[in-house]
Amino acid sequence: MGKVKSLIKIKPNKYNTGDIVKVDFMVMHPMETGMRTDKQTGKLVPADYINEVKFFFNDALITNMSVWETVSTNPVFTINFKVPSEGTLKVVFKDNKGSTNEQSTKIKPKG
Amino acid sequence: MQRRSFIKGFGVVLAASAVVPVTMMAEEAKKAPVQSPNKMNIDSAIKAITGGKALVPSSKIEFKAPEIAENGAVVPVKITVESPMTKDDYVKAIHILAKKNGNVRCTDIFLTPANGTAHFATRIKLGETQDILVIAQMSDGTFLSATQNVKVTIGGCG
Repeated sequence: MGKVKSLIKIKPNKYNTGDIVKVDFMVMHPMETGMRTDKQTGKLVPADYINEVKFFFNDALITNMSVWETVSTNPVFTINFKVPSEGTLKVVFKDNKGSTNEQSTKIKPKG
Repeated sequence: MQRRSFIKGFGVVLAASAVVPVTMMAEEAKKAPVQSPNKMNIDSAIKAITGGKALVPSSKIEFKAPEIAENGAVVPVKITVESPMTKDDYVKAIHILAKKNGNVRCTDIFLTPANGTAHFATRIKLGETQDILVIAQMSDGTFLSATQNVKVTIGGCG
Protein backbone atom coordinates (compact mmCIF):
# COMPACT_ATOMS: atom_id res chain seq x y z
CA MET A 1 0.00 0.00 0.00
CA GLY A 2 1.11 3.48 -0.74
CA LYS A 3 1.08 6.44 1.54
CA VAL A 4 -2.08 6.93 3.56
CA LYS A 5 -3.42 10.47 3.82
CA SER A 6 -3.60 11.74 7.37
CA LEU A 7 -3.82 15.01 9.24
CA ILE A 8 -3.23 16.31 12.78
CA LYS A 9 -5.20 19.30 14.03
CA ILE A 10 -4.52 21.12 17.29
CA LYS A 11 -7.37 23.10 18.84
CA PRO A 12 -7.35 25.95 19.77
CA ASN A 13 -4.84 27.64 17.43
CA LYS A 14 -3.12 29.67 20.15
CA TYR A 15 -2.03 28.09 23.42
CA ASN A 16 0.48 28.57 26.22
CA THR A 17 2.79 26.08 27.94
CA GLY A 18 0.75 24.06 30.43
CA ASP A 19 -2.53 24.45 28.55
CA ILE A 20 -4.59 21.41 27.70
CA VAL A 21 -5.21 21.24 23.95
CA LYS A 22 -7.37 18.98 21.84
CA VAL A 23 -5.54 16.83 19.29
CA ASP A 24 -7.61 15.57 16.33
CA PHE A 25 -5.97 12.86 14.26
CA MET A 26 -7.74 12.05 10.97
CA VAL A 27 -6.88 9.27 8.51
CA MET A 28 -8.27 8.50 5.07
CA HIS A 29 -8.76 4.76 5.40
CA PRO A 30 -11.47 2.35 4.13
CA MET A 31 -11.63 0.35 7.40
CA GLU A 32 -13.04 -2.76 5.66
CA THR A 33 -14.58 -5.23 8.10
CA GLY A 34 -14.03 -8.33 5.95
CA MET A 35 -17.79 -9.00 6.11
CA ARG A 36 -18.95 -6.89 3.15
CA THR A 37 -19.52 -8.47 -0.28
CA ASP A 38 -18.55 -6.70 -3.48
CA LYS A 39 -21.81 -6.28 -5.44
CA GLN A 40 -20.12 -6.63 -8.85
CA THR A 41 -18.03 -9.75 -8.25
CA GLY A 42 -20.05 -11.29 -5.40
CA LYS A 43 -16.88 -11.97 -3.42
CA LEU A 44 -16.03 -10.88 0.10
CA VAL A 45 -13.90 -7.77 0.38
CA PRO A 46 -10.86 -8.70 2.51
CA ALA A 47 -10.47 -7.00 5.89
CA ASP A 48 -8.35 -3.85 5.86
CA TYR A 49 -8.30 -1.73 8.98
CA ILE A 50 -6.01 0.27 11.24
CA ASN A 51 -5.14 -1.76 14.32
CA GLU A 52 -2.68 0.43 16.18
CA VAL A 53 -2.28 4.19 16.70
CA LYS A 54 0.48 5.67 18.85
CA PHE A 55 0.95 9.32 19.83
CA PHE A 56 4.49 10.48 20.68
CA PHE A 57 5.75 13.85 21.95
CA ASN A 58 9.52 14.22 21.48
CA ASP A 59 9.70 10.40 21.23
CA ALA A 60 7.95 9.87 24.58
CA LEU A 61 4.76 7.82 24.34
CA ILE A 62 1.63 9.77 25.29
CA THR A 63 -1.20 7.55 24.17
CA ASN A 64 -1.43 4.09 22.69
CA MET A 65 -4.59 2.75 21.05
CA SER A 66 -5.54 -0.66 19.77
CA VAL A 67 -8.23 -0.26 17.15
CA TRP A 68 -10.59 -2.84 15.58
CA GLU A 69 -12.56 -2.91 12.35
CA THR A 70 -15.67 -1.65 14.19
CA VAL A 71 -14.38 1.93 13.93
CA SER A 72 -15.94 3.98 11.10
CA THR A 73 -14.46 4.62 7.67
CA ASN A 74 -12.03 7.56 7.58
CA PRO A 75 -11.66 7.56 11.36
CA VAL A 76 -11.01 10.54 13.63
CA PHE A 77 -9.33 9.99 16.99
CA THR A 78 -9.50 12.85 19.47
CA ILE A 79 -7.41 13.02 22.63
CA ASN A 80 -6.36 15.76 25.01
CA PHE A 81 -2.76 16.77 25.56
CA LYS A 82 -1.08 18.98 28.15
CA VAL A 83 1.60 21.07 26.41
CA PRO A 84 4.85 20.77 28.41
CA SER A 85 7.20 22.66 26.05
CA GLU A 86 8.06 23.17 22.41
CA GLY A 87 8.52 20.04 20.36
CA THR A 88 7.05 17.71 17.78
CA LEU A 89 3.96 15.59 18.09
CA LYS A 90 4.24 12.40 16.08
CA VAL A 91 1.55 9.83 15.31
CA VAL A 92 2.52 6.35 14.12
CA PHE A 93 -0.23 4.08 12.84
CA LYS A 94 -0.22 0.53 11.53
CA ASP A 95 -2.84 -1.50 9.68
CA ASN A 96 -3.60 -5.22 9.72
CA LYS A 97 -1.72 -5.73 6.45
CA GLY A 98 1.48 -4.68 8.16
CA SER A 99 2.14 -1.27 6.61
CA THR A 100 3.26 1.54 8.92
CA ASN A 101 2.72 5.24 8.33
CA GLU A 102 3.43 8.32 10.37
CA GLN A 103 2.46 11.97 10.54
CA SER A 104 3.92 14.73 12.66
CA THR A 105 3.31 18.35 13.55
CA LYS A 106 5.23 21.05 15.46
CA ILE A 107 4.02 22.17 18.86
CA LYS A 108 4.73 25.87 19.39
CA PRO A 109 3.28 27.37 22.57
CA LYS A 110 2.26 31.04 22.41
CA GLY A 111 2.08 30.98 18.63
CA MET B 1 -52.44 -48.55 -17.18
CA GLN B 2 -51.27 -45.52 -19.08
CA ARG B 3 -53.06 -43.16 -16.72
CA ARG B 4 -51.60 -44.92 -13.72
CA SER B 5 -48.01 -44.64 -14.95
CA PHE B 6 -48.59 -40.99 -15.87
CA ILE B 7 -49.71 -40.19 -12.33
CA LYS B 8 -46.74 -42.05 -10.91
CA GLY B 9 -44.34 -40.09 -13.09
CA PHE B 10 -46.02 -36.81 -12.23
CA GLY B 11 -45.74 -37.63 -8.56
CA VAL B 12 -42.00 -38.18 -8.88
CA VAL B 13 -41.56 -34.82 -10.58
CA LEU B 14 -43.58 -33.11 -7.86
CA ALA B 15 -41.49 -34.72 -5.14
CA ALA B 16 -38.27 -33.71 -6.89
CA SER B 17 -39.41 -30.11 -7.28
CA ALA B 18 -40.29 -30.03 -3.58
CA VAL B 19 -36.84 -31.26 -2.59
CA VAL B 20 -34.82 -28.82 -4.71
CA PRO B 21 -35.84 -25.58 -2.94
CA VAL B 22 -35.13 -27.15 0.44
CA THR B 23 -31.56 -28.00 -0.53
CA MET B 24 -31.11 -24.57 -2.10
CA MET B 25 -32.31 -22.91 1.07
CA ALA B 26 -29.88 -24.98 3.09
CA GLU B 27 -27.00 -23.82 0.91
CA GLU B 28 -28.04 -20.20 1.27
CA ALA B 29 -28.28 -20.57 5.02
CA LYS B 30 -24.70 -21.84 5.03
CA LYS B 31 -23.56 -18.84 3.01
CA ALA B 32 -25.54 -16.12 4.79
CA PRO B 33 -23.83 -15.42 8.13
CA VAL B 34 -20.42 -13.99 7.37
CA GLN B 35 -18.49 -13.94 10.60
CA SER B 36 -16.11 -11.26 11.65
CA PRO B 37 -12.47 -12.44 11.52
CA ASN B 38 -11.98 -11.11 15.06
CA LYS B 39 -15.25 -12.47 16.43
CA MET B 40 -15.52 -12.12 20.19
CA ASN B 41 -18.54 -12.07 22.48
CA ILE B 42 -19.14 -9.59 25.27
CA ASP B 43 -18.46 -11.90 28.24
CA SER B 44 -15.03 -13.05 27.08
CA ALA B 45 -14.10 -9.48 26.08
CA ILE B 46 -14.96 -8.14 29.54
CA LYS B 47 -13.08 -11.01 31.15
CA ALA B 48 -10.00 -10.30 29.01
CA ILE B 49 -10.05 -6.65 30.13
CA THR B 50 -10.86 -6.94 33.83
CA GLY B 51 -9.41 -10.39 34.56
CA GLY B 52 -12.51 -11.34 36.57
CA LYS B 53 -12.71 -8.14 38.65
CA ALA B 54 -16.08 -6.48 39.22
CA LEU B 55 -17.24 -3.51 37.16
CA VAL B 56 -18.44 -0.52 39.19
CA PRO B 57 -21.06 1.63 37.43
CA SER B 58 -19.90 5.20 38.03
CA SER B 59 -21.03 8.75 37.33
CA LYS B 60 -17.35 9.76 36.96
CA ILE B 61 -17.54 8.67 33.33
CA GLU B 62 -19.28 11.20 31.15
CA PHE B 63 -20.32 9.23 28.08
CA LYS B 64 -22.01 10.96 25.16
CA ALA B 65 -23.56 9.04 22.28
CA PRO B 66 -26.71 9.78 20.27
CA GLU B 67 -29.94 8.11 21.48
CA ILE B 68 -31.03 7.50 17.90
CA ALA B 69 -28.41 7.00 15.19
CA GLU B 70 -29.86 7.19 11.69
CA ASN B 71 -26.75 5.72 10.09
CA GLY B 72 -25.13 2.85 11.96
CA ALA B 73 -21.90 3.24 9.97
CA VAL B 74 -21.05 6.53 11.68
CA VAL B 75 -21.99 6.81 15.36
CA PRO B 76 -20.02 9.51 17.23
CA VAL B 77 -19.00 8.68 20.81
CA LYS B 78 -17.38 11.02 23.33
CA ILE B 79 -15.94 9.94 26.66
CA THR B 80 -14.56 12.06 29.48
CA VAL B 81 -13.44 10.46 32.74
CA GLU B 82 -13.14 12.63 35.83
CA SER B 83 -9.59 12.27 37.11
CA PRO B 84 -6.74 14.55 38.25
CA MET B 85 -4.35 12.72 35.84
CA THR B 86 -1.32 12.91 38.14
CA LYS B 87 1.36 10.24 38.44
CA ASP B 88 -0.39 8.60 41.39
CA ASP B 89 -3.95 8.84 40.20
CA TYR B 90 -4.80 8.63 36.54
CA VAL B 91 -6.93 6.75 34.05
CA LYS B 92 -4.88 3.90 32.63
CA ALA B 93 -7.19 2.80 29.87
CA ILE B 94 -10.59 3.35 28.30
CA HIS B 95 -12.29 0.47 26.49
CA ILE B 96 -15.30 0.86 24.19
CA LEU B 97 -17.45 -2.24 23.62
CA ALA B 98 -20.57 -2.52 21.43
CA LYS B 99 -22.50 -5.45 22.89
CA LYS B 100 -24.15 -6.91 19.77
CA ASN B 101 -21.52 -6.35 17.09
CA GLY B 102 -19.77 -9.44 15.69
CA ASN B 103 -16.54 -8.19 17.21
CA VAL B 104 -17.64 -6.32 20.33
CA ARG B 105 -14.31 -4.50 20.77
CA CYS B 106 -14.08 -1.05 19.16
CA THR B 107 -11.03 0.69 20.61
CA ASP B 108 -8.81 0.34 23.66
CA ILE B 109 -7.08 3.61 24.59
CA PHE B 110 -4.10 3.52 26.93
CA LEU B 111 -3.51 6.96 28.45
CA THR B 112 -0.65 8.47 30.44
CA PRO B 113 -0.51 11.48 32.82
CA ALA B 114 0.84 13.55 29.87
CA ASN B 115 -2.70 13.71 28.48
CA GLY B 116 -3.83 16.27 31.07
CA THR B 117 -7.43 15.09 31.04
CA ALA B 118 -8.89 11.70 30.20
CA HIS B 119 -10.87 12.48 27.09
CA PHE B 120 -11.45 10.49 23.94
CA ALA B 121 -13.73 10.80 20.92
CA THR B 122 -14.17 8.81 17.74
CA ARG B 123 -16.84 7.38 15.43
CA ILE B 124 -17.83 3.71 15.48
CA LYS B 125 -19.98 1.29 13.46
CA LEU B 126 -23.05 -0.38 14.94
CA GLY B 127 -24.80 -3.34 13.27
CA GLU B 128 -28.10 -2.97 15.12
CA THR B 129 -29.79 -1.29 18.09
CA GLN B 130 -27.71 -2.11 21.16
CA ASP B 131 -26.01 -1.00 24.36
CA ILE B 132 -22.54 0.51 24.26
CA LEU B 133 -20.39 -0.26 27.28
CA VAL B 134 -17.47 1.92 28.35
CA ILE B 135 -14.93 0.56 30.82
CA ALA B 136 -12.36 2.84 32.44
CA GLN B 137 -9.38 1.23 34.12
CA MET B 138 -8.01 3.45 36.90
CA SER B 139 -4.41 3.40 38.11
CA ASP B 140 -5.48 1.97 41.51
CA GLY B 141 -6.79 -1.17 39.79
CA THR B 142 -10.53 -0.50 39.88
CA PHE B 143 -12.77 -0.71 36.83
CA LEU B 144 -15.52 1.85 36.31
CA SER B 145 -18.22 1.44 33.70
CA ALA B 146 -21.02 3.32 31.93
CA THR B 147 -23.57 2.15 29.38
CA GLN B 148 -25.91 3.80 26.93
CA ASN B 149 -28.46 2.38 24.54
CA VAL B 150 -28.26 3.56 20.93
CA LYS B 151 -31.15 2.97 18.53
CA VAL B 152 -29.91 2.31 15.01
CA THR B 153 -32.19 2.89 12.00
CA ILE B 154 -29.87 1.49 9.31
CA GLY B 155 -27.18 -0.99 10.34
CA GLY B 156 -23.60 -0.16 9.47
CA CYS B 157 -21.92 -3.57 9.23
CA GLY B 158 -21.48 -5.58 6.05
